[in-house]
Amino acid sequence: MSYLNDTIKISEVVISTNKSALDQAGYKRTSIDSMVLSRYSSSNLSDMLSENTNIFIKSYGMGGTATPAFRGTGAGHTLIDWNGININSPMLGQSDLSLLPVGLIDDVQIFFGGASLALNNGGIGGTINLETKPVWKKETLISLNSGVGSFSRYSELLKVKTGNERIQTVTKAFYQTAENDFRYLNNINGGEPIWQKRNNDQFRQRGLIQELYFQSGKNITSVNVWYQSSDRNLPATMLTQQQNSNERQFDESVRAIVKYDHFKGPGSFSFTGAWMMNRLNYYNQLASIDSKNLSENLTLKANYETLIGGFSNLKIALDEQSNVIISNNYEHNTRRNTATITASLIRNQNRFGTTILFREILDRKSLLLPDFSAGIQFRLIDDTEYFIKANISRNSKIPTMNDMYWFPGGNPGLKNEYSFMYEISYEMKQKISNPLNLKYDLTFFRYSIKDMIQWHLGEYSYWNADNIQSVTSSGMESSVSLDYVRSHFNASFKAAYSFTRARNGNSGVADDLSARKQLVYVPENQVNSSFRVGVGNIYTTLVLNFVGKRFTEIDNSKYLPCYMVNNFNTGIKFPVKNSSVDFNFSIDNLFNTTFQSIAYYPMPGRSYFIKILVQLIK
Amino acid sequence: MKNLIKIIILSLLVVSCTKNSTLPPSKVTIGGGVLIANEGNYKAGNGSLSYYSYDSSKIYNDLFSSVNNRPLGDIPYSISIKGTKAYIVVNNSGKIEVVDQSSLVSETTITGLISPRIMAMINDNKAYVSSLYSDSLAIIDLMSSSISGYINLGMSSEAIALIGNKAYISNWSGGNQVMVVNTSSDKVIDSIKVGSEPESMVIDRLGRLWVLCDGGWSQQNYPELDLIDTNSDELLKSYMFPSKSESPSCLKIDGLGQTLYFLDNGVRQMEITAQYLPAGSFIAESGGHYYKIAINAVNSDIFISDAGDYVQPGYLIIYKNTPEFVSKSRTGIIPGAMCFTLKINSLSSSVPLNNVAR
Repeated sequence: MSYLNDTIKISEVVISTNKSALDQAGYKRTSIDSMVLSRYSSSNLSDMLSENTNIFIKSYGMGGTATPAFRGTGAGHTLIDWNGININSPMLGQSDLSLLPVGLIDDVQIFFGGASLALNNGGIGGTINLETKPVWKKETLISLNSGVGSFSRYSELLKVKTGNERIQTVTKAFYQTAENDFRYLNNINGGEPIWQKRNNDQFRQRGLIQELYFQSGKNITSVNVWYQSSDRNLPATMLTQQQNSNERQFDESVRAIVKYDHFKGPGSFSFTGAWMMNRLNYYNQLASIDSKNLSENLTLKANYETLIGGFSNLKIALDEQSNVIISNNYEHNTRRNTATITASLIRNQNRFGTTILFREILDRKSLLLPDFSAGIQFRLIDDTEYFIKANISRNSKIPTMNDMYWFPGGNPGLKNEYSFMYEISYEMKQKISNPLNLKYDLTFFRYSIKDMIQWHLGEYSYWNADNIQSVTSSGMESSVSLDYVRSHFNASFKAAYSFTRARNGNSGVADDLSARKQLVYVPENQVNSSFRVGVGNIYTTLVLNFVGKRFTEIDNSKYLPCYMVNNFNTGIKFPVKNSSVDFNFSIDNLFNTTFQSIAYYPMPGRSYFIKILVQLIK
Repeated sequence: MKNLIKIIILSLLVVSCTKNSTLPPSKVTIGGGVLIANEGNYKAGNGSLSYYSYDSSKIYNDLFSSVNNRPLGDIPYSISIKGTKAYIVVNNSGKIEVVDQSSLVSETTITGLISPRIMAMINDNKAYVSSLYSDSLAIIDLMSSSISGYINLGMSSEAIALIGNKAYISNWSGGNQVMVVNTSSDKVIDSIKVGSEPESMVIDRLGRLWVLCDGGWSQQNYPELDLIDTNSDELLKSYMFPSKSESPSCLKIDGLGQTLYFLDNGVRQMEITAQYLPAGSFIAESGGHYYKIAINAVNSDIFISDAGDYVQPGYLIIYKNTPEFVSKSRTGIIPGAMCFTLKINSLSSSVPLNNVAR
């Protein structure tokens, strides 16, 4: 059995919540390779995305808060969806990627810019859709993934998938803990750099997904429940020399989705009900802060889509969301309702494809200016995979609940942020010879974001939220991949480069030093590459991740230097009938690079991790 | 004679930069400049030290890191001077950087403090340091630059004012008391109930204590300016502000101990004999956000730190006491406490040109 078979087979039947979204003409969308997902099965989404995509991840280190930023937009402009349902916290309007274990996910799709409009509201930068799905086969799969590594890190991942062509049940459980007491080089103490040990950086994560799927004819009913919790200490900056503040954060989420898909003739209906609960408790013993925050979100969705004339797909979607916040940081419990109607028409012929989408949002009692998106794609030569794609969109994001109701400083009168986005790309895929395949893409983009919400100090000496910032972000992305596959030998090389120039607009403040300066923590240059070789049952991967300098002050007077981190992974897989045992060893930060993702928060040096994956299929 | 003048100037400057203290003298020679603690943003580690030179009318930014090749820390909150040393209290780093006043070269770092705020010099050997997040004052041994003990207040502490052998300690964060400490025995001897959140204090030429209470961040109480007799430790009078929405701060007094200044939508000025609070501002706030003030003990020049939008470098604004505008210069991020000091002699050799701004 070759290395290519080492992951769970997922290709038989794809149950997708976003079929029309996946087929959008004129937009950029990518998926994470299943081998990459397998390699990061003991890690979180933050590590996987930062090392394999152009999405910049601002991270406080292993287990620490990690937020994504597409193309120079903010963390709040990135939607994280689970099976098409937005799971961002309605309070913060963003997700912490360190709380999303890759091992629980079957597929990751990335929708750039205007492509995200096909899924939900507010993904100005883009959307990362996490999919979990069954395999419609009469078989039972049990896999146990156990790992141990540096800094007392332990992880366990158990998956049980069983059923037949009509009923499937999937259970996944994840547990991870780490002391995270790594040594780091303190080079800011004025004298010779000294090695110090990181304190108060422990974390523990638990996750459980239970899914049930029923198929009757073409109709499918599914129930998905995801419990996730994290308990972590929050370390101080390298500059702090006072007693441990015992800063601690507890996150807990329960997500439940019930969905019914009904197919009839050329059309299909789908009804989805989702309930999400997010709890975030922050505790700081030193500062006597005991912040308790609970949000609940109810989503009801109804989609209808149908083929028209063989080439066109019409989709109409209704979406109703209700948020309730219970927090000791709000004056009182707060509720918000939004309703959205979206209509899209996708026409996809051999050479030409077009997409038109309109969306109207009712936010409480106010109708917002409609959003739209339009895309076009052109196949350069018949029966080849050479495409030119272009799209334009207007996308808006309603303020988060914290922006509106945090006490003090929340501003219920905030307007929604909105962005005009333009994108043009070239994509090609070609089989060069029988075992060798080439893929290449080049994309140019430009965002103009208006009425961005910024917290600033107000009249009574506390921070207030207002629509005062504007940002223009433009740049390019390019990636290339080469895959060589023979029966007992395979190799692949992937490389991606992105250039992002994200500039503040003029705030209107006199002598504004931030005007037309690069946004803080947005690198202009970023490179990811990986090289993988498999010979028989042995495989090896080398990953390189380069992040350019990032300014830390809005007047661009200070910056963190660029860094390059290399990760190494190797393993051997022993097949036994349909089952297998896989031994895997990885070294992160191979060359022990000293770097910081956020100023004065040190990142670990070289670390090791061993994991064993036992997979039984019957 | 030269040494005598130096000693007099030094002692006066110490008075200027702490929230104390003994009665200010009536005459002093103009000289030196002002050290400015730029707080920077919480946990961003971008706090810095600026210096405004009277001689050149220039401001020099980012001095500590330029001289010592390392960042100053997280939230440098106040500066005090004793002898030839300047003590920079770095709040969220839990430390006090001790530097040579003339060169700003780091001499030592006092560590182990919990959220230190303001340092008051008791005598040549001893200082008190207030704390936002602990219920004790730290006692600093100035000879060894280390913590020699604690005074349990049972509450957090902020401003410190000194007179005779008494130290008055305000319980700002969520509090409404001023504790009285005997500086000889280091014991709490009394407490005085004042308005909500006593933020800053000064002592006037009559030896009375003025306490500015900001009313609390949530504006649940009226701010007030309280006057206390330091002999009896009794409250003499409370000046109530007309609105809960006012948020006065940063009470200062001139070199004669005669005129009070504080921030409240601009700079307000008030004689210690006034019957009422000033109705209008002495210097209006024109854009930005006035954050702290300092008064030159000699000529009553008014130094205002303007935090601007709190994320980019702020300003130092200087007015004559007439009040005539003098200058406005860029500082670091969130310029806060200011401390009058002796001339820093080695600036020309130690500070790169790009740190100099007009």
